[in-house]
Amino acid sequence: MSELNFEYGLLLPEFILVGAAAAVLMLDAFREDLRISRNLLPAITVLGALIAGVASLLFLDRDPTDFAQLIAVDDYTTFFRILFIATLIAIVLGSYEFVNRNITHQGEFYALLLASTIGAIYMAAARELLTAYISIELLSFSLYVGVSLAKTDTRSGEAGLKYVLLGGVASAMLLYGLSIIYGTTGATTYDGIAAALEDGVVGTPAFLLGLAFLVGGLGFKASAVPFHMWTPDAYEGAPLPITAYISATSKAATFALMLALFGIALDAAKADWQWMLASLAVATMVVGNLIAIQQSNIKRLLAYSSIGQVGFMLMAITTVSDASGSALLLHLAGYLITNLAVFIAVIAFYNRTGSEEIEDFRGLAETQPYLALVITTALFSLSGMPLLAGFVTKFVLFQAAAEEGFLWLATVAVIMSTVSLYYYLKVIRQMYVAEPADGDSRWRLSPIAYLTTGVLFLGIFLVGLWATPIFEAADGASAMLFG
Amino acid sequence: MTVDLAHYLTVSGLLFGVGISIALAKRNAIAVLMGIELMLNAVNLSFLSFSRFSGAFAIKDNPLDGHVFVVFVLTVAAAEAAVALALSVLIYRRRETVDLDRINLLRW
Amino acid sequence: MIERLPLPAPLAALLRRAFFPEGSFRLPLPAQLDRVIIYGGLVAGAVVTPILLVLIVLLVLNVLTAPELVFWLASAVIIGGALGSVLLKNIVHAALSLVMTLLGVAAIFLLLGSEFLALVQVLVYGGGVTVLLLFGLMLTNATDDPIVSDGAQKPFAFLVGIALAGILSVALVDQIWGAPTASTVAFRELGARLYRDFGLPFEIASLVLVIALIGAIAIARRDRPEDTEDTAMGDGA
Repeated sequence: MSELNFEYGLLLPEFILVGAAAAVLMLDAFREDLRISRNLLPAITVLGALIAGVASLLFLDRDPTDFAQLIAVDDYTTFFRILFIATLIAIVLGSYEFVNRNITHQGEFYALLLASTIGAIYMAAARELLTAYISIELLSFSLYVGVSLAKTDTRSGEAGLKYVLLGGVASAMLLYGLSIIYGTTGATTYDGIAAALEDGVVGTPAFLLGLAFLVGGLGFKASAVPFHMWTPDAYEGAPLPITAYISATSKAATFALMLALFGIALDAAKADWQWMLASLAVATMVVGNLIAIQQSNIKRLLAYSSIGQVGFMLMAITTVSDASGSALLLHLAGYLITNLAVFIAVIAFYNRTGSEEIEDFRGLAETQPYLALVITTALFSLSGMPLLAGFVTKFVLFQAAAEEGFLWLATVAVIMSTVSLYYYLKVIRQMYVAEPADGDSRWRLSPIAYLTTGVLFLGIFLVGLWATPIFEAADGASAMLFG
Repeated sequence: MTVDLAHYLTVSGLLFGVGISIALAKRNAIAVLMGIELMLNAVNLSFLSFSRFSGAFAIKDNPLDGHVFVVFVLTVAAAEAAVALALSVLIYRRRETVDLDRINLLRW
Repeated sequence: MIERLPLPAPLAALLRRAFFPEGSFRLPLPAQLDRVIIYGGLVAGAVVTPILLVLIVLLVLNVLTAPELVFWLASAVIIGGALGSVLLKNIVHAALSLVMTLLGVAAIFLLLGSEFLALVQVLVYGGGVTVLLLFGLMLTNATDDPIVSDGAQKPFAFLVGIALAGILSVALVDQIWGAPTASTVAFRELGARLYRDFGLPFEIASLVLVIALIGAIAIARRDRPEDTEDTAMGDGA
């Protein structure tokens, strides 16, 4: 075995995040003795995340290297470091008012967010099965706990229990798949697996079985149909910021992991898994978008709509190639910005009204026109309207799929995008057409809510109108896998 | 009749099957957790057997990787039990049941 | 205590003299568990003894080697224990049956040449996880109402289980596998691989444990005084 590289400096951003998490936990424990403001905790979280973000920029455009053959430190990793850290900052800023009111364990809440960001980053950076698995568990555990942290809401604990039990079954399936892949190829590093597959393990029943378990386990984490049962419950039961976090970081991290795993390690076995992923993608797009139509709770609506979005992303994994890889990264970035805009606006709405029902959005255009505008724009972007982020990223994504010979899959995706417009329009109609409830007058947002939604709002347009810089970044990152 | 890899894998496969039927059939949260523990044990069994019979590997990378995997699976299994039990206790305190069919504020 | 068991009088007297010559000894456990342990022991003994006898005969006849004997016995214990935890209606019995499986797995680990992991399996699973499960059962009052009914999806679940076990066995046995590698795994080598080469996942795992720990505390702690008697929540949303 060749010499391993143990340069711990490569992991600097994650060390900073851990440090921030420890600081938050400690300060929370002694908060009453030290008489510090509770706003200090989100401030430290954001500060730590900012420093970690700057630290990850240090690794930009350097020669690709790896840590002990477990973690790759290259532009792909940097891309996701920046993406996840930015998501973390947006969520903390967008939700600190919510947290102050509804969460009793605030130190734990922020520490969980920081730790799960590390898990997400390593899921993207992992180049070895064990590292990938344990990072998945770090993210999952943070979410199990996070979902159940709204202790004033009885739904929260229930959602947490269902999530942890189903998650456990899925982890066991994933692990069984990993063990069979390890047994048939004899390697746990992505490169080692790829080399073994060249020697021809492909297509044996045992290997196929391992792949099926692997796809099932990862499909659960990504909430692909038919492994999506946990998603609506977890979304509805979780406190809103955690819902936003699951829909953003957790999804993106799973796809980052799948892209690297299927792109590097299992590329030679394409014929064995492509049909599995293609059927998952179709089922996910169709079921997610059709069930979303009947939802009356905004969290459940967004849950099913995000399942539909997962279908589009699975399509990119199915057709894995350089072009669809960079298209997926671009789409993930656009999706994250758009989705966060919706969620942070919904959090601001919830702070004011305490309601999650779509019906209660009626007349929002009268009482808070700015928020209504942000939600409308973001929902239009999710459904793929021109000028907005969703159009560009979906266009590139569908085009890449079609070029790889999956025109039928891209066609289904286009049809389902149109369907999704229908249920988004239901929300928009409530805000603009329906009259506000009696006694509702205009109300104001807090400055920070203005700031975060404003930045994300501009981001939607920026990606929609001038996607070149982010497209180039995605291209460079994806070249690390396929170059 | 010698005991070879196939025998170990059969035991592991049977254990996994039993584990998943417990996890799917039982309605008590803690019973489901027991099923998950069985599934994880099946995983450990197969990892160790593969590791032991690594003579068949296409590349002889490192036969210890299976062992290391088992250590991590054990860790995660214990942590998972702790979190799931904490949640069961929380729910029991509020609703006097850990029957998953009666925990129905959310549509399952 | 033995008098309370519905056994023939001579057998009860024999048992008492064999186990508790002092007369008034009690295990430091709830009375219910006494019965579980004694009955469970008897049943397990009745099941395992014939298997053991057959295996020993085979060993004497040189059909089996000693490691093979251990393998067959351990497999019987594993599958028997697992089936016990599916089929037993009483959840405490099911949990104790699970312990058999876990210890059987430890025996197989020994056969596979991993002394360290066998040790860990006994300590973590046989000890830690089992105690945790039993605590969970006690805290959620399973001892008063231990009968767990299976859900409506039981046939489906069994179907899935049987199908998976079948597919797994067939697919995995079908493959051509190689010979075993040499001897027992040395602690030192495993340690070096685990803590040096896999140092990073090890650190991530420590984070997982921290999260699980603070999570479990934050979740299970009573924040509100009314949590204790807050049982009148509605039964549907």
